[in-house]
Amino acid sequence: MAVLLPVAGRCQISPGQANQIREGINDRIEALTVLGGDYVLGGGSFRSTGNGPGDLTVDVSKFGGAGEFSDTRQLGDLNIAWRPRLQGNMGTVDWKNEFKVPLLEGDVSHTKAFGIQFGGGARFWFTHEFSVAPTIMGMYGHTTNEYTANGVFMVANLAKARQVGLVDWSTDTWTVRPSMNFQYEYTVWGRTIITLSSDATYYHTGSLKSSNAGINVGGDSEVWSNKFDIDIPLGRMLFGHELRTGGYLERTGLYGNIRSGLNTDYMNEVHGRLVLDYLNQLWLTQWIGLGGSYYWGSNFTGYSFGIDFYLVF
Amino acid sequence: MDVPGESLASGGKALKLQQNSTRAGLMVGVAVALGGCWTAPVADVQPKGEARLIQHAIPVVAVKHDATVQSIDVDQGVIVLNFTDGVTATVKPGPRVKNFSTIRAGDKAKATVAQELSVYVLIDGQVPGVDGRPEPIRTDAKVLEIEPAYRLLTLQYPNREVEVLKVGLDAKLSEMEAGDSVVIKTTELLALRVKKH
Repeated sequence: MAVLLPVAGRCQISPGQANQIREGINDRIEALTVLGGDYVLGGGSFRSTGNGPGDLTVDVSKFGGAGEFSDTRQLGDLNIAWRPRLQGNMGTVDWKNEFKVPLLEGDVSHTKAFGIQFGGGARFWFTHEFSVAPTIMGMYGHTTNEYTANGVFMVANLAKARQVGLVDWSTDTWTVRPSMNFQYEYTVWGRTIITLSSDATYYHTGSLKSSNAGINVGGDSEVWSNKFDIDIPLGRMLFGHELRTGGYLERTGLYGNIRSGLNTDYMNEVHGRLVLDYLNQLWLTQWIGLGGSYYWGSNFTGYSFGIDFYLVF
Repeated sequence: MDVPGESLASGGKALKLQQNSTRAGLMVGVAVALGGCWTAPVADVQPKGEARLIQHAIPVVAVKHDATVQSIDVDQGVIVLNFTDGVTATVKPGPRVKNFSTIRAGDKAKATVAQELSVYVLIDGQVPGVDGRPEPIRTDAKVLEIEPAYRLLTLQYPNREVEVLKVGLDAKLSEMEAGDSVVIKTTELLALRVKKH
């Protein structure tokens, strides 16, 4: 909006310009719903690296996970094993933009999104190392915007901007999310696990209801994540549990609305952890410990740090 | 990050998706070629090598769901438990078992027990004794799978029931394989939660 409004002239926002801004808002809504509600993309605190028209901070909090449950079963007479899989997540995004362009100097746009998703599928093992997991999920999102006008231009145009759905709006959305995960997991040096995985995900989002007829979300996004994970046992016990370390490097390519909504075509994450092994010792738990991530994209950086808790079914 | 991004031309987008699917297909092919087919784990196989004791008295903690109290002697402080895997154990309760006096014969319970596993390679059910002559061994289970990364030993009992146990860092998992025979000694009752009197 900050880039589009300056060309709108000093007096008022034209209908064409309003449509242009609305398209950006609709992309942003889908992007934020996916960013907060999807379990594949990591949570953390993000900050723009100076390409934008203001100070942008984004805080993403989420809780969720995915995993197979029940015993491994053979698929008919085939040399393929399978287990049912569940996936779920809920999260919030707090997107705050303090504008530093002449026309909007001092204005603050604050967008909050909540997303919750649930679904499942199955994982099929074609070898003991290689597996494929097709899944489908549904997601609900609720996004609101609050605009604080301090600059002369928006103080004069706030009512109009509100009327045409450019600011101070709210919307509920639905998203359907089919995905395919490919995974190759193998053990090296006796007890170290290396996992290579690739996750291709498609999102289709639509509006349930909106506070303004101009807010009509409908779009498609694609995400392609590739991850290298290493899980290393340290051979030392602490509180009756073995210490393990490891981490991963993940690159996520963004396509479609999520790319334009976040204005980046990729997101990289490097993650490290130090955890205690609880597998087969505590219900639903593989490990508990501390972990941290650093994120970077074409125009932002971010980080997260906290409890690293890996659930298993 | 707030600047609306440049849009992808639809032709470019289609090309990118096609490249992605080609890479994914390649990954499937390479992975299957490298790994061979998946095969179900089997415990009823003869392990390699001579008959021998691989390791004696590996300590584990086992949780036995639906254990049945066969008998109890409160004065002697001894309880006899039948596990669903077919093993019967006579054990003394540990200091953390506070409800011992309320337990009755016939109770169904979730029992947490300390056990010791001795793992053998047997040939015709025998292993050389101290004098070198073959001695028969009465075994309780067989090794079905070994997961060294997280020190998990999966046992299969004669009634086909399967149990996953966590072993210590000193367990010689690298010397074990599917089909090894296991003798289980239950040493202590750590906890007993009665489900039904």
